[in-house]
Parts: sequence; C-alpha cells; structure tokens
Amino acid sequence: MKLSPYFAYAKKCFLGRSAYRFDHLMNILSTCLQIFIFWGIYRALYGGNSEVDGITLPMVTTNFMLSMGLGAVFCTNDYFLPDKIHDGSISTELLRPISFPGRMVAENAGNALFNLIFRFAPALLAAVLTIGMSAPAGAAMFGMFLISALLGYGVLWAISFTVQMSAFWFVNVWSITTIKNVFINVLSGSMIPLWFMPGWMSGVLRFTPFSSIYFTPVQIYLGQLNNWEIAEKCAVQLVWIVLIYLVGDMLWRKGQRKLVVQGG
Amino acid sequence: MKDIVHLVGVYTKTTAKSWFQYRVDALLRSLAVFLRESTGIIVIYFTLQKFDTLNGWNIYELLFLYSLLFLTYGIMIVFFTGLRDFGRTVRSGGFDRFILRPRGLLFQLIFANADWFAAVGHGGLGVVLFLVSAGKVGIVWNVWKVLYYLFAVAGGVLIQGAVFLVLATLNIYLLETGSLKELLYFNMRKFAGYPISIFHKAVQFIMIYIMPFAFVNYFPAQYLLRKEDMAGYPQVFLYLTPVVGVGMYLAAYFFWRFSVKYYKSSGN
Amino acid sequence: MSFIEVKNVSKTFCINKRQSGVTGMLANLFAPKYEIKEAVKDISFSIGQGEMVGFIGPNGAGKSTTIKMLSGILFPESGEITVGGLIPYKQRKAYVGSIGVVFGQKSQLQWDLPVIDSFELLKAIYRVPEEVYQKNMKRYTEMLEMGGFIHQPVRQLSLGQRMRADIVAALLHSPKIVFFDEPTIGVDVVGKETIRNFIRELNEQDNVTMLFTTHDMQDIEKTCDRLIIIDAGRKVYDGTLPGIRERYGTTRQLDVEFSLQQEIEPMEKVAVVDLGDNKKRFVFESHEIHINELMNQLLNRYSIRDMNISEPEIESIIRKIYSGEARDAKSGCKEA
Repeated sequence: MKLSPYFAYAKKCFLGRSAYRFDHLMNILSTCLQIFIFWGIYRALYGGNSEVDGITLPMVTTNFMLSMGLGAVFCTNDYFLPDKIHDGSISTELLRPISFPGRMVAENAGNALFNLIFRFAPALLAAVLTIGMSAPAGAAMFGMFLISALLGYGVLWAISFTVQMSAFWFVNVWSITTIKNVFINVLSGSMIPLWFMPGWMSGVLRFTPFSSIYFTPVQIYLGQLNNWEIAEKCAVQLVWIVLIYLVGDMLWRKGQRKLVVQGG
Repeated sequence: MKDIVHLVGVYTKTTAKSWFQYRVDALLRSLAVFLRESTGIIVIYFTLQKFDTLNGWNIYELLFLYSLLFLTYGIMIVFFTGLRDFGRTVRSGGFDRFILRPRGLLFQLIFANADWFAAVGHGGLGVVLFLVSAGKVGIVWNVWKVLYYLFAVAGGVLIQGAVFLVLATLNIYLLETGSLKELLYFNMRKFAGYPISIFHKAVQFIMIYIMPFAFVNYFPAQYLLRKEDMAGYPQVFLYLTPVVGVGMYLAAYFFWRFSVKYYKSSGN
Repeated sequence: MSFIEVKNVSKTFCINKRQSGVTGMLANLFAPKYEIKEAVKDISFSIGQGEMVGFIGPNGAGKSTTIKMLSGILFPESGEITVGGLIPYKQRKAYVGSIGVVFGQKSQLQWDLPVIDSFELLKAIYRVPEEVYQKNMKRYTEMLEMGGFIHQPVRQLSLGQRMRADIVAALLHSPKIVFFDEPTIGVDVVGKETIRNFIRELNEQDNVTMLFTTHDMQDIEKTCDRLIIIDAGRKVYDGTLPGIRERYGTTRQLDVEFSLQQEIEPMEKVAVVDLGDNKKRFVFESHEIHINELMNQLLNRYSIRDMNISEPEIESIIRKIYSGEARDAKSGCKEA
C-alpha cells in the first residue's frame, strides 16, 4: 500500500484549516469557555469542601481540562461519508485507487494534528494559567497517558466511522449522529466526571466503550491506576476499537453493494 | 395577507415534504433534538444526585430555570431556522436567489426554512420541564404572575431572535461564522442553564450586558422563586426582560437592513 | 428603443489573497493579504426589447458581475443601469417579478423533491395566477420534453434534465427578460441542442429579451444575433457574429498540395507549415498580403496539384481576442 496519497490528504486538511482564521480563534475560545463553565459549577458544588468521595476539586478540574482538550483535538468528521452519499459524489470517490476509510483516517489525522498544535495547546495554556491543573503522576504515567489518549481517539473514530455507514441506508443521518453525540457527551465523562455517576450507571458504563475515550487517559494521567490496571484498561480500549471497526467495516462492504447513487 | 398565509403554507408543505423523503431521519429528528438538548439536564440530574444543591438551588428550581430557556428557544427557532443556517445559504448562492424573488428578504429567510421539528423538540422539552418543576418550586400562581410569565417568555424569544439575526447577518461579512455562533450563542447558553451567581464576575457581566441570557431565564425565574443570590443584583433587573427584548430586536433589525445594502455593494 | 441601458458601469472588489504552503498558511493565519480587483471597468451598452444577446469572455472577465448588477443582486459602484424604466438594485421587488435568471451552476430547485413541487412553490412565491401557471408549465414542459421526469426527485435527474427543469422554473412567471448564466454547462450534445432550440423559439414567439453568458461558442452561433465580448472587465466587442469575422478574422490559411516534394523559399509575412505528403500550409493576414499575389507567386514557381483556402473558426478568433493577439483590421492596432 502506498502511503503518499494518504499523506497528501492529511497535509491538505492541515493546510486547509488555516483559511478559516477567525473561526479558528472562536474554536479556541469555545474550548476555554466550556472548561470555565464546568470549573465554575464544580467550585460552587464543592462549596469549600476539600474533597468528595476522595476526589479533590483540582482532580475534577483536570478531568474537564483533559477531556475537553482532547475533545478539541479528536477530529471525526461525522458527515464525511453522508455528505458524499447525499450529493452523489461517492460514486466518483469510489473510483479512485485508494482506500476510502484510509482516506478518512488521513484527513482526520491532518485535522487532529492541526487541532493539537493550534487549538489544544493554546486553550490548555489559557486554562492552566487561569485555573491551574494537576501535574501528571510522573513521566512514565504521562507517556502511558499519551498512548491511552491515542487509543481513546481510536475508539471515538471507530464509533463515528460505524455510525457514518448508516448513511448508506438512511442517507440523511443528522438525527442518528446527534443521538450518538449525546451518548458520547454524557457518558464519556467530559461533562460529568464518571466518579460521580450513580452506582447503577457505573455498572452499565462498564459494558460500553464510552469511558475508554477520555476517562481512561485521565485516570492514567492522575495516577489513579496501577500498572496492571493500566494494561487492562488499554487492552479494553484496543478491543473496543477492533470490535467497533469490524462492525463498521462490515457495514461498509454491505453499503457499497447497496449504494443508491443520488444525483447524476 | 391571504397571499402571505398561502405562501407560508406552501413553504411549510415543501419543507416537510423534503424531510419525509428520508423517513427515518424525519422521525428521529424531534427525538434527536430532544435528547441533545436534554444533555445539560441529564448532567444536572446526575450531578445533583451526588450534590444536593447548587448554591442554594435544588434540582426542581434548576429545572424550572432550564424550562424557560427551552420554551423561549423552541418558539424562537420556528421562525429563525433560516437564520441559523444563513451561512450555508450565502455560500451556496441561495441568498442571491432570495434577492431575485419578489418577496421580502427576511420573510423568505424565515419561512423558506421554518424548522417545526426542532421546535417540537425544544419547546416540548421546555413544556415537560415546566410541568415537572412548576408544581414543586412553591410558586403561588395568580393573574399577575401568569401575565409576568407570558411577557417574560415573549421577551426571551425576542432576545434570542435578535442574537440569531445579528449572528446570521455577520455571514455577510465573514466567510465562516459557525464557530462564532457556537461560542457566543450555544456556549453562553450552557452557562444560562445554571444560576449565573455561581460564575466569575466577568462571566456574569457578559451574561447580563453582552449576551443577555440572564434576562431570558435567570431574572424571570428569580422574580418567581426569589432565591437568596438575587441580593447581588439590582431589583429592577427582574422587570427588564421585555424591554431588553424589544430593544435588542430593533437594533438587530437595523443592522440587518444595513448589511443587506453592504452585501449588494460588496458581492461577497 | 433601448430596453436595457447600461452607462459607464464600474465595479471593484476586495479579495483575500491566499498563499500556499506551510509558511503561506501561517501568513494567512496572522497577516492576511488583500488585493483590489476591478471586475468591471466602465462598461456601456444598450439592448432593445426582444433582442437576444450573447455575453462572452474568459473566466474572471466580469460576465457574472455584470449579470448580477443587471439582475439587481449587486449595486454598480459607479454608472447607471435601467431596465424597462426600473433601476434593478433600487426597485428590487417591482423589478425582479419581471425577470428570470438561470444560473447553470446553481440550481434553484428543491434537491430532494420532485420537480413539480419546486414549480408549485415558485408559483406561490411569484403569485402566478392558476391559468397562467398551467398554460406556461404545459407549454414549456412540452417544448423541453420534460413529461418523463417532472415527477422525479431532482437529485435523480441527469444534468441536462435538471438544467431544463431549472430553465422552466425561471420562466413560470412569464418574465420579460431572462438572464442565462451558462445554461448549457455540463450538458451533452443532444441536451444542448434542445435547450438552444427552446431559447430561440421562446425569443421569436414571445419577444422575450435575453442575455446569455456561455463558454460554448456554438450556443452563441445558434441562438444569438448579437455578441458582446468583455475581457478583463472591459468591453472589447459589441456587434453581430459575422461582424466579428470581418473585424478580427483577418488570418487566412492556404493549403497547397504540390506535385513533387518541394523546398519552399521563405516569403515575407507568410508562415509556412509542413503538413507532410507534399502538402504545405501558408498562413497570412489578408490585409497584409493579397491572396491573388500569393497564389500567382506559387503557381509561377511550383507545380501544384490542389489548393484550398479557409477562414479561421470563430472560436479561434475569440481565443485570440482574449489573449490579446487579435488585430483590429480596421484600425490595424492591437486591442487590449
């Protein structure tokens, strides 16, 4: 497999982003703002208590900063395939001698890199300077955090990929995509730290991929897991990526066969 | 007038027909909006399971605060979907097409896209929240309070309509404003789901004087609930919602008129 | 009597200039550059009622800008435009009810719905009376052979079908003027022919005034009596189609087949191209060299089997006008 066309797509996306200068600044501010909202809420909720259930306020803030920061980096263009099916351009796209899923990865990766440098970094810097954030639990843990974050992106990407495939059947997938994102927002820990989920919810969550996206890396960063637990959680992340991607890939194959080309 | 009603009818029929081309999506649409907007409420619910009150507000009081936000948004969005999606309209040349048709521009923009489904999702959520919370927050309803409530809702609709109109109008000057809207409107609205008193002074300032969501739900809710944290604000704020709404809407309308002239001279 | 009157119209735009590459990206991010572009410079023309005018020029010449000003989407920066006594950009609602605009690149049909639904919507928007609507729709759909797909969703139509539907959509309210902006773009040969015939017929039968931009010279040759060429924002030609040949088409080519393999002595102001098989082509300007003179010279010197003289294709003349190579035969000087 030749990699150069994929690299070209990634580069195109990375460079293309600079065109929307103003938009970009707004995105950084949006990310900061979200962090501030939740910081404000939890400051009020803690109301002077140093810890709740063994979780301190700085830990909660760090959870928000990392999961929202990563959320800003993790780019999944949920409408990449649906748009191409809706306007009919999918038929010409499929004629190109490259893997379409591969191209999706490449474009998202280009965007993610841009986000990492120009969105995550400034937003996090601003948040750290104004709110402050816990330091990582050691260099090794930080390294593991990076690996786990990458795997978390993989889980998020696989979910998006699989959900996009539904466009082959429904064409208009705004609703399905929106519902998917509700699940991710509520259950991944980026809006409510999973420590504070009611007991029964935590039970349910163990059987879903959502905590693998942001919460696992955050726990590693904060040093809440020992080496054995880290290995286990990362393995769980990997299993989710493979499982979800396999479902998506199956739908992708079936979908191509079913393709009702819209337009010309 | 009859002609206008007829045209609105045809527009609505056309939009609805377009949606029903994709049945699954159409059916899921209201549900999706309902769920998406419930996100904030689910988060509050789970959070308040753990922590009983937020700065003295219990779960029902917080839901009542939320209900005002959604009810006003649901009413507003019926009329302003076209403004929400105006950026796409400008980029695709759709606005040129509006100019080429013998009808008012704002009229076309509003009715060519009226999103009744989203309205059912949002407004429905507002009504559900109101029904769940209103009986449990100790409001003794009388004629004055009902009247106050209606005026507050109308004011809230106008405030948000004005913000949408201004944000839509900015599309005439800027290539891409999706994230500005995301920042100024949708993110600020996330603050508005909570009593603004818990936030930093700077945030409070923005919520009162710049993106005045405080007048959409916080101050009207305070008039009816009278929580302790109202002590930090002038009492007159409790009565200003309709005034702020009308003032903002007029300002937004003149900005729109001015910008259409600009569009015609710059060509985008 | 002139119906459309354009006087000394100019228009400039301010454009964000994008740079490429990584350094260019950073530059865009922090210090965007702008440049001022004069899209239309001091253009004047007038068009009578019922005239059919082709409006051509290379990409970026200012055609679309002019069409947008004529249809009231843009204000001219200076100069004046009146159409049928109205000022398009000032009396918008009164004006646009009497015009139709077809943008070949941008459909005004509802993408997800059958064609007929878009027509019904336009009927309501333009307040078209029921009888007029029925009459127009019946007539136009028959002329454009649309019966087969009027109940199909637009997204399932071919480009040619969609374009025909878009043309009818622009005509339902019986406009007095129709602007066509590239109405045949991407349409196949048969489809183009149908569209051209329809436009021709409509112009002849209903006396509709039409302005037509295109890149396809055949569109113009088959439909328009008059041609306006603009280039770099300026009008460079305004007249009939045969007139353009008279004025610019001074290049002639003489193809000669010799009896034997021949070496040709160089001649002044004549270019010689070897076509192989004892054939050669002599290219010259008719006002510089007289055709008799050249033929006599050749007949005197060489043994010739066959000769054939030809004029240039209209398309190549126009290409030359764009590239600034064309010489104006009357003044003998180069056009900008």
